[in-house]
Amino acid sequence: MNETPSSSAASAGAPPLRSYTCPWCGLASQGTDLSCRACGATVDVRAIVTRSGWAELPGRKDMAKLQFGHSSCQIEGTYVPVADMNLAREDSVYFAHHVLLWKDPQVAVTAMPLKGAWKRLMAGMPLIMTQAQGPGHIAFSRDAPGELIALPLQPGQTIDVREHLFMVATGAVTYDWSQSGIWFSTREGNETETHYPMGMFLDRFTSPQVPGLLLLHAAGNVFVRHLAEGQTILVKPTAFLFKDTTVRMQLHVERPAGTWRSWRSWGDRYLWLRLWGPGRVAIQSAFEPLEDNGRTIVSHSGATEHQW
Amino acid sequence: MTDNASAELLQRLECQWCQSMNEAGALTCRSCGAPLDVKNLVSESGWREAPRLKDMTEIQFGQSTCQVEGEIVPVAEINLGAGDSVFFEHHVLLWKDDATRMSVLPLTGGVKRALAGMPFVISVAHGPGRVAFSRDATGELVVLPLHPGMELDVREHAFLLSSHTIAYTFVRIKGLRNILFGGQGMFMDRFVTTSAPGLLLLHGYGNVFERVLKPGESILVEPGAFLYKDSGVTMDVETIKLTSGLFGGTGMNLARMTGPGRVGIQSMYVHHATE
Repeated sequence: MNETPSSSAASAGAPPLRSYTCPWCGLASQGTDLSCRACGATVDVRAIVTRSGWAELPGRKDMAKLQFGHSSCQIEGTYVPVADMNLAREDSVYFAHHVLLWKDPQVAVTAMPLKGAWKRLMAGMPLIMTQAQGPGHIAFSRDAPGELIALPLQPGQTIDVREHLFMVATGAVTYDWSQSGIWFSTREGNETETHYPMGMFLDRFTSPQVPGLLLLHAAGNVFVRHLAEGQTILVKPTAFLFKDTTVRMQLHVERPAGTWRSWRSWGDRYLWLRLWGPGRVAIQSAFEPLEDNGRTIVSHSGATEHQW
Repeated sequence: MTDNASAELLQRLECQWCQSMNEAGALTCRSCGAPLDVKNLVSESGWREAPRLKDMTEIQFGQSTCQVEGEIVPVAEINLGAGDSVFFEHHVLLWKDDATRMSVLPLTGGVKRALAGMPFVISVAHGPGRVAFSRDATGELVVLPLHPGMELDVREHAFLLSSHTIAYTFVRIKGLRNILFGGQGMFMDRFVTTSAPGLLLLHGYGNVFERVLKPGESILVEPGAFLYKDSGVTMDVETIKLTSGLFGGTGMNLARMTGPGRVGIQSMYVHHATE
């Protein structure tokens, strides 16, 4: 931590200000609250890191409270947590409309048009985002047991998120999306099918000017790690959650030796997502089965290959 | 306050969830299993979390007991006393003693129920004997001891079991028909106590929250999240129009719940398609 204690506090012999840095979101504080104001992580609980280097999403006390702008958000429940927002008059949030759990009657909900509606329609993504303007309470939850991830975004910070995981973001956070670029095609007879193991699109969230807050919901437990420059790791494509924009990704295919193989095709194979550092990557422990019909792969996005 | 008065107060502990009185020193409520030594968790917006029942908590009702086992998908194991019985929908039965006698609860309106997709048969297990129940997803057991003269409406298929002293009927919700069954109408279970108290167990998906609405106070709730309400709470569907300017727009349906009374919601719900 680079910040220095204020001179007045130091001269008075008081404990230095900003002595605690949240291991999850990096917010510096005095550490006197029970939970981090930016992400809700319990204060002063030792970060749980596996021997392999994955850090568990820090525990959060039930009813932990987050501050953003002039508003606050309380995280309620543990199995399928609810984000209960108390919006101030000047603050707004946006969300995919199927995550709304309840709201005060006076909270105005309107549509937020998105670019590329036709392509989104084709890809099965929500066509419109819904936005809510304060003042009042509005609450969100999703449809699977799991964890609510609070990602405070510092001005200028950008994060890439797998599609359909987004829950709610503050009005200052901009939303964009792009092709994921991860795909493979299989063929049987004359039928060719294209598969997108981590989705056709990737959501991108940026907070350009002021600090923003992004809430995601993941199924099961969440683990995060920092990859060093050039460091690589293979993850199940459907377990991928989010990454820093500096992290690159590509398909990786492994197949056991001794199985029949024709030119540029695979019989039995394992499909992985290869992630390259530097940057942060996160995964969820409960993931959907990989959409893979076991047919011969005839083409794919850039991939590395390994034969056992 | 005199020492005697203090001692008297201490001898009776009121459960904050079900208002039953408990003996001094009790760790969990005899009637609903709520921990008595844990602070209530109430959000700033006024929702109260259903009490997190400790594993193996025991609850008394009539001559019978119910033990709550497990925490992720909890099981309600009932040890029925002679003369006691519980009724339930057949899909929640987990196991039973061979000797536990079963029968069918006589119901009226069978055809209407069948058309609405509700279980045609409500089964009854009679004591003495053991029988256990659970549902099919992560969630919480909600224990609702019903005092005499109470009427509670419950989302269909959400009730796990009910003691025989509670009368069971069903009501049609006209306002929700467009959302839930595409015009075929929807029924909601109604549990009524007359002179004797009873025990009602629900299973809510995810986490369960309860809020008490004052007379005339309203809250808008995702219809799929509705779990239970006092019969005095009204429920009306409202559609919020959302337009993007490109596709003419869509609508979002929300249920307006208006007090007075309790409203219970579940945080994991089936999302119903918008119009």
